[in-house]
Amino acid sequence: MFRNLLIRDLKLAYYTSSNFIFIASFFLLIVILIPFIFGTNVNDLKLIFQGLIWIGITLALLLTLDRIFSSDFNDGNLDIILKSGLSYETIALAKLLSVWIINCFPIIIILPIASFIFDLNFYEIIRTELNLFLGSIGMTATAIGISSLTLGLKRMIYLKSIIILPLYIPFIIFGVDLDSWSIIFALSMIAVVISLFVTSYSLRLYGE
Amino acid sequence: MLPKLSSSFFEKSEKYNPILISITLVLFCIGLYFSLIGSPPDMVQGDSMRIMYIHVPSAWLSLMIYTLLAFSCILWFIFRNPIFSLTGRSLAQIGATFTLLALVTGSIWGKPTWGTWWAWDARLTSMLILFFLYLAYILLWQSVSNKETAAKIAAALGIIGFINIPIIKFSVDWWNTLHQPATISKLSSPSIDISMLIPLVIMTIASIFFLLTLFLIRMRIHIIEQRINRTLGN
Repeated sequence: MFRNLLIRDLKLAYYTSSNFIFIASFFLLIVILIPFIFGTNVNDLKLIFQGLIWIGITLALLLTLDRIFSSDFNDGNLDIILKSGLSYETIALAKLLSVWIINCFPIIIILPIASFIFDLNFYEIIRTELNLFLGSIGMTATAIGISSLTLGLKRMIYLKSIIILPLYIPFIIFGVDLDSWSIIFALSMIAVVISLFVTSYSLRLYGE
Repeated sequence: MLPKLSSSFFEKSEKYNPILISITLVLFCIGLYFSLIGSPPDMVQGDSMRIMYIHVPSAWLSLMIYTLLAFSCILWFIFRNPIFSLTGRSLAQIGATFTLLALVTGSIWGKPTWGTWWAWDARLTSMLILFFLYLAYILLWQSVSNKETAAKIAAALGIIGFINIPIIKFSVDWWNTLHQPATISKLSSPSIDISMLIPLVIMTIASIFFLLTLFLIRMRIHIIEQRINRTLGN
């Protein structure tokens, strides 16, 4: 059942507007905008690029924030999923995995290509990838929690963004530091646990 | 919907309104006299540090109010009593005001002392983030028309915010030690003199009474608002 749910979400994403190509090009285009703002000095751009990765992943998650549960909610699929006998925490976990694969995995894959543009060395790329891998799990978990909590609220993307952006600050602070992967790991684990709890709470509220 | 006992308490609280307002005014008068006239100016900063007597109580209260807010959210989860969602809602508005007051007075204090309106200091930054946490909570109440749904979301949001405050504080402190240009920490005085402590304590107590007065007024407003909405039938 868990696998079916996951595969269903991935297929839906593949056939609609949020597949791999879209997210990857979205991220690359944000990266490409930066030299037009800050000029072409590679040393400056390297500094900015570290932060830009996190802006990119935040934007990618913010754009999906309104869709994570809403599309299922609107066409009635959420009722069927909730009645399928899976525990709410399992549903939340499946959503977490699918949202992460759809929105964060393409960025992690495309990152080395973007890194070569900005002349990052091998060590920096590996550390950035590790931070991004660990941090994006926690950020996705936060997004899942908040979007499930605000499930019934339609077209309130700004409200959801205002709620979620302060919660992203710790991830971004430790994310740009290349040596603090262990703290990001801890933060992400906390976020996953709280998010599973919050998501099952809000799905239960919806189910009532 | 609203339980009789708790709503009748807040209705009767109107009686205490004049008493609370007069206590607040008297305390503010005494406190402001001591802080503006009756206490010596600071050796280093002169008279500009007198804004501390407004700044520090509002900063303390803004943190205390978030704790109370989270506490009322937890109580809502336990008892499912709508009065606790109203307390949270009233506290958030007052808390946001105190946070804004702390930020504004801090920046007015910062201009003559540090030479700049805003420095990326750890405390300033976390206060700013606290303000946005309050703002998210208030905006949620404002933008969700169904207040029962809003209560459910807001209770969870208050607790999530409360869990996050230490994490944000820790990370901002850590970030700040990396980027600290070492302009601010040298100005912090080692300990506070007794002649400055007395006005500070009086001002803090006055602010607490001010909070209590505002809180009871806001509670009555929210109860009346809820009653009107129920009468109108939504």
